[in-house]
Amino acid sequence: MKVRLWGTRGSVPSPGPETIRYGGNTSCVGVTLSDGSLLALDAGTGIRNLGLSLPEEPTRLHILLTHLHLDHIQGLVFFAPAFRPRTEIVIWGPASPEASLRDRIARYISAPLSPVEVRELPCDVSFRHTPEAEWEIGPARIRAASVAHRGPTLGYRIDDGDSSLAYIPDHEPALGADLETLDEDWISGFALAQDASLLIHDGQYSDAEYPDHLGWGHSSLSHALAFARRTGAERTVLFHHDPLHSDERLDRLGGEARERWSTIGGDPDRIELGVEGGEYELRSLGASARAPAQPV
Amino acid sequence: MSQTQRPLELILARNLMSALSTPAFLVDEGGLLVFYNEAAGMLLGKRFEEVGTVGADEWGAMFGPFDEGGEPIPYDELPLVAAVRDGRPAHAEFEIRSTDGTMHEVEASAFPILTAHGTRGAIAVFWPCAEDGAGPSSNGAAAR
Repeated sequence: MKVRLWGTRGSVPSPGPETIRYGGNTSCVGVTLSDGSLLALDAGTGIRNLGLSLPEEPTRLHILLTHLHLDHIQGLVFFAPAFRPRTEIVIWGPASPEASLRDRIARYISAPLSPVEVRELPCDVSFRHTPEAEWEIGPARIRAASVAHRGPTLGYRIDDGDSSLAYIPDHEPALGADLETLDEDWISGFALAQDASLLIHDGQYSDAEYPDHLGWGHSSLSHALAFARRTGAERTVLFHHDPLHSDERLDRLGGEARERWSTIGGDPDRIELGVEGGEYELRSLGASARAPAQPV
Repeated sequence: MSQTQRPLELILARNLMSALSTPAFLVDEGGLLVFYNEAAGMLLGKRFEEVGTVGADEWGAMFGPFDEGGEPIPYDELPLVAAVRDGRPAHAEFEIRSTDGTMHEVEASAFPILTAHGTRGAIAVFWPCAEDGAGPSSNGAAAR
């Protein structure tokens, strides 16, 4: 399984000279499965470049949406394969008692917000609510589960062979909870991330910033580290960077993460901040690579 | 991958209940008591961490509840369990026994936790009846 980060930013695109290294595009991760099948995790503005990278031949791909906040769907109408008649796209996302996934996405892909309507997309597009049970795409087993964020929001786990990816970009598991002492089955998102080869997780705020954003649905650095430690992920990429965080600010945050991870016995090379364009080839490294056992 | 993960709705309910000063109880979709908060622990005389997840028989032996005549009320007739089973709110008055033997007359209101995937469990909030001084507040009578 190969993973590429096409957009690592949270909330709103933030291009500019101060964000050029970590990137300004919003959430999108491309996943190439062992049989060549392609998944896109979220469709923030990063999916535009993912689309441009694909050949113009007939393509079938799956887009797995965690939720429908704009920073996770804004790139849909700029995704070139959606405008090719020979492309088949399956869009998965959370169910809501209020309206179907198609109708909720159509609120964005419609006038006056969009020049095209969903029904006008030339591609063969279908919309599916994620099932409660695990399902298969190509050689991979996919699992979706609700996680703590504002509104119906999912995290995903993708198992392909002996490697696994957990993707939980918008997550506040510590809201009203102590991640260090809580039993693991009471931690939001735990089963998705447990022993994953790679965990891509919300790390939007510094510890100092978090108190002013309590309940906004995102994690502080301490919370992200605690979640990574408890779940035993082999490698963790902090993601959904705050749009106000410059490259220099993120360098400092990443340095703090590595230092704190190392202090508690972890390998500092196994925790990092996501960089737009970053690539990972996943294979299970076994228990020796897992997260440290001490509290963060 | 662990299959014991609690549904998010129960996790959030527990987090909320943990912050309340009102005694509150949480059962899962099978009607099993999976959590009660500190205020409920004060009423019962035992913290949840000391009791843990227990079955109906053990729960009944420890705390009751009992009807007006002092007879045990079957577990599956409790508002919490009825709320899960029927998918509707339920309310009742009964007595519970704390670990020091003190009897507390309480009102219990329970409501199911319904999601797109069905009933996940139920929450019950206890209010001391007006003549009962136990619990964090004597405002329970206002809820009657």
